Amino acid sequence: MDTIVALGTPAGRSAIGVIRLSGPDSLSILRSIVGDDHLKPRPSQSVLRSIRSNGSSSILDRALLSYFPAPNSYTGEDVVEISCHGSPVILRQVVDLTLALGARPAGPGEFTLRALGNDKLNLCQAEAIRDLINAQTEAAAQQALRQLMGELSARLQVSKQKLIQTIVQLESALEFVEDDLPQLKKRQIAAELTDVTTAFAKLASTFESGHLLREGLKVTIVGRPNVGKSSLFNMLLASERAIVSEVPGTTRDTITERISLEGVPVLLTDTAGVRDSTDRIENMGVARTRQAMSEADLVMVVIDGSEDLEVEDLRVLSQARSGRHIVALNKSDAPSFAVLEKSRPSFEARTINVSAVTAGGLETLRAAILEPFGSVDSSNAGFLITDARHYDLLVRARLEVQSSVDLLQEGASEELILIGLHNGLRFLGQITGETTPNEILTEIFATFCIGK
Amino acid sequence: MSFDEAFDVIVIGGGHAGCEAASAAARLGSQTALVTMNLDLIGQMSCNPAIGGIAKGHLVREIDALGGIMGRVADRTGIQFRLLNRSRGRAVQSPRAQADRSLYRKDMRKSLEGTPNLHLRQGTVLDLVIRGGRMAGIKLQDGRTFGASAVVIATGTFLNGVVHTGHETYQAGRTGEPSSIELAEALKRLGFPVGRLKTGTPPRLDGRSIDWSAFKPQPPDEVPVPFSFATDEILQPQLNCYVGYTSTRVHEAIRQNLHRSPLYSGKIRGIGPRYCPSIEDKVVKFADKDRHQLFLEPEGHDTNEVYLNGFSTSLPANLQQELVRLIPGLEETRIIRPGYAIEYDFVDPRELGPDLQTARIPGLFHAGQINGTTGYEEAACQGLIAGINAALTVQGRQRFRLRRDESYIGVLIDDLISQGVDEPYRVFTSRAENRLSLRYDNADERLEPYGRDLGLVGDSDWERFNQRRDRIALLWKILEDTRLKRSDKAYAAISSKLGADLGDSVTLAQLGKRTGVGLDIIRSVLPAEKLPGLTDSEIESGLADSLYAGYIDAQRLNVQRLHQHDGLQIRPDFSFRGLSGLSHEMVERFERARPLTFGDARRIPGLTPAALSMLLVHLTVRRHAA
Ligand SMILES: Nc1nc2c(ncn2[C@@H]2O[C@H](COP(=O)(O)OP(=O)(O)OP(=O)(O)O)[C@@H](O)[C@H]2O)c(=O)[nH]1
Ligand SMILES: [Mg+2]
Repeated sequence: MDTIVALGTPAGRSAIGVIRLSGPDSLSILRSIVGDDHLKPRPSQSVLRSIRSNGSSSILDRALLSYFPAPNSYTGEDVVEISCHGSPVILRQVVDLTLALGARPAGPGEFTLRALGNDKLNLCQAEAIRDLINAQTEAAAQQALRQLMGELSARLQVSKQKLIQTIVQLESALEFVEDDLPQLKKRQIAAELTDVTTAFAKLASTFESGHLLREGLKVTIVGRPNVGKSSLFNMLLASERAIVSEVPGTTRDTITERISLEGVPVLLTDTAGVRDSTDRIENMGVARTRQAMSEADLVMVVIDGSEDLEVEDLRVLSQARSGRHIVALNKSDAPSFAVLEKSRPSFEARTINVSAVTAGGLETLRAAILEPFGSVDSSNAGFLITDARHYDLLVRARLEVQSSVDLLQEGASEELILIGLHNGLRFLGQITGETTPNEILTEIFATFCIGK
Repeated sequence: MSFDEAFDVIVIGGGHAGCEAASAAARLGSQTALVTMNLDLIGQMSCNPAIGGIAKGHLVREIDALGGIMGRVADRTGIQFRLLNRSRGRAVQSPRAQADRSLYRKDMRKSLEGTPNLHLRQGTVLDLVIRGGRMAGIKLQDGRTFGASAVVIATGTFLNGVVHTGHETYQAGRTGEPSSIELAEALKRLGFPVGRLKTGTPPRLDGRSIDWSAFKPQPPDEVPVPFSFATDEILQPQLNCYVGYTSTRVHEAIRQNLHRSPLYSGKIRGIGPRYCPSIEDKVVKFADKDRHQLFLEPEGHDTNEVYLNGFSTSLPANLQQELVRLIPGLEETRIIRPGYAIEYDFVDPRELGPDLQTARIPGLFHAGQINGTTGYEEAACQGLIAGINAALTVQGRQRFRLRRDESYIGVLIDDLISQGVDEPYRVFTSRAENRLSLRYDNADERLEPYGRDLGLVGDSDWERFNQRRDRIALLWKILEDTRLKRSDKAYAAISSKLGADLGDSVTLAQLGKRTGVGLDIIRSVLPAEKLPGLTDSEIESGLADSLYAGYIDAQRLNVQRLHQHDGLQIRPDFSFRGLSGLSHEMVERFERARPLTFGDARRIPGLTPAALSMLLVHLTVRRHAA
């Protein structure tokens, strides 16, 4: 096994930069670069030393050193962390030193892979680390962290135990017919299993919010030209990102920016105004608008409330109707807005009066964007399933266990009832780690006095 | 050095593994010697006098379908046949029988003596002769040497066996027989990794001193279900077994004397089977149970000896006598042979390939308890596979292996060689992923063609097999073609029995998919003349096919989904060494097997799940990144 090295902090200038080594030679490499053959920092203690380049007396940096001997480290191997001053030049030189001493640059995710290989992490924790690194907002990072701390596995643990206990009872009844085992209580078993399917269903239902938290919500702003789409886009962004002008057809291409609403990452897209035009470029823009509309989780139709409704407004509205959409009735500051109020028909979708000029209605608009997706309370809300793979496995597990409940109620023989239970456990195992047939047997022998 | 006698195949040990191995090798045409310490104890049942049981009965049926002998001997000598799990589905039913211990032994010896090419030799093996790294022969204690290029070791508990009763210990292979110390040493010298296991037996009682009225009789089945597909009728008169219980007084006395048990004084280090605990273990581990079940099993027709099943112990012999007398109904009972615990060496079965040949010494095969298993049936099936492959190797033929999805034998061998053992290994139906397909009643359909191809299934058996297969195929056609209509006489009764409306018209095959459709319903629709020559058991087999078919298909899809990555290709020059984080041992296993797909890799014995996940991550994630 070789020793790998990588920067543990993002590249670029920063206050400190951490270099991480993992593998059997970590400690000896550390000793070489500080020129101390006996150095052995105690676990959870840092020491301050000077790093010198090979054979030279000139000091490269003063650094804080920590040593985590195997197996009690992140990767399960000997790990060394060197906290240098955050200059890219210094960091580069220290990494080069370790390379010269036999370390190898780590590939992407290699530290985590090693942790996985040494059973320091289960698969869903490894996935959480990936999510944590990719998290787009604070709330998404929170969820990844909770999963990393094992919360998903822990939440599934109760159901998993119930499932295993049921399997143990049914398997024992089959395998040890001649032993003096208690009678199976089928009604009680059915109730336990129903608890399990309910728990799976509940957890799976958090996926809709969880998915948004991880992937972000795609919101596309559409409308006929000059209604103020770009102005609203800028307002939500709190920056003058898009060009605004009184000339209809200003925006020619779609622009996407990321914002955070209540911790939910939102991908906001401004589009070219929709109208019949003979301009080739403008028509290409309109085609892109259509595309962005079809990809959106939510379409925000902007209508100029200071003018009468036009055919084009109606056409946009009818296109948006096929998916989730809201209406932003813009220019509420204009005097004609109030005048037209009475004659304006009401829209099917949730309608918010706003003004891109005064920012009136901004808060209501922000809330309305999230509304169709339920409350995604970022910080202290319940745990959410964020990963499509986990969602899929939970749904499958639930169906399998449900089929067992049905068979149980039909009075089927145990070997048939057990099929769904084993499958359910197997699907669950792909989230929390496998349960081997041997572990089931161990449970059986711990539960019942078996054997002639 | 030339040998005193030359053979093709030598089998060491005359227990259940050795008998099958020798019989199979000889019948495949190899000159075969069966070398055992005591010819009079060939086929000895050293523990309880019973064959079969859940999953074990499946094994005996599979042995029989392949052309092995255990099932036939058991059928000729069985004195109490019972089909277990009768009330449950066909897949988990299994035949079991008490056998007459001494008749079984005699019958087995006669079978072997009547086998052409098979030569019985009495002697104690001291050493293996190896030439050019391959098996060449064996050396005996009496100075004789036998040559053979294939040797099957099937020595049971004899390797370095040590018997314990209380603090008395002595070297023995079974009680009253010497152990094989030299052979055990020879295996260690060759570098085989050796571990230690333990098992135990209960005392045998004098039947004349038992108050039988205190026990509940357990009668045999009225119509016995035999082990062998060739057996038409069970001829031995059938006996009862009896069920009784220990009492809190017994438990109390055991607790007070635990320090006298070598299990609890730390004298025994070998690991025992959890599903066959000693009475000491039961009392300690399940302290809240106020009684434990016991079985009184007659040892045969012509003996007073009774086996006290459920009371395995290694307590001192005189204490055993006191304890037995505390059991309700055994107040006056005398022990004939005390129970004992035995510790013995086993060789790590991960040394073996699926043909049960060691990778270390070509031509050397291991079968039975030496591989860490317990049970006569487990031993016998390994003996059969090892004996077949020993003969095939000598004859230069392609070796024979069974898959997990087609047999319990395949499950057992695959578990052994890929996982190794940390306690004596026994089969359970739950170890088989394909439990629904691996039924006792379709073992012939699954395996008999293999036995025929190998040359172990004779003409008359093959003929019988084909006729049976044809009858079941005909039954299938009848079930598909016969419709039950609302207007039929039987409809109302069947519908009310199943508690369901069956529609205006269903075929019997469709009906068979429902739980609760049994022989009685089929017979009520089809008169006997419409089911020519079909036995009840064959009709039940046909119904089981119907019931399970849908589940088996669904399960196949599930397995495919679970193994969706199996098709991922691995380049022939792929560097497993380059898989970061993989231990040296895992790299070696990969390199040795050189898998070309992820599916191949998944089947490499001894890989940890973590190692496989890492390969998978590499084959999927990295490729997308690149
Ligand atoms: N009074 C008032 N004027 C607004 C408001 N929002 C936008 N406008 C004006 O309306 C005009 C068009 O604004 P844009 O934001 O460029 O409109 P658009 O919908 O992006 O137009 P295209 O990109 O051409 O489709 C500009 O002159 C804005 O200053 C508002 O809330 N109130
Ligand atoms: Mg614009």
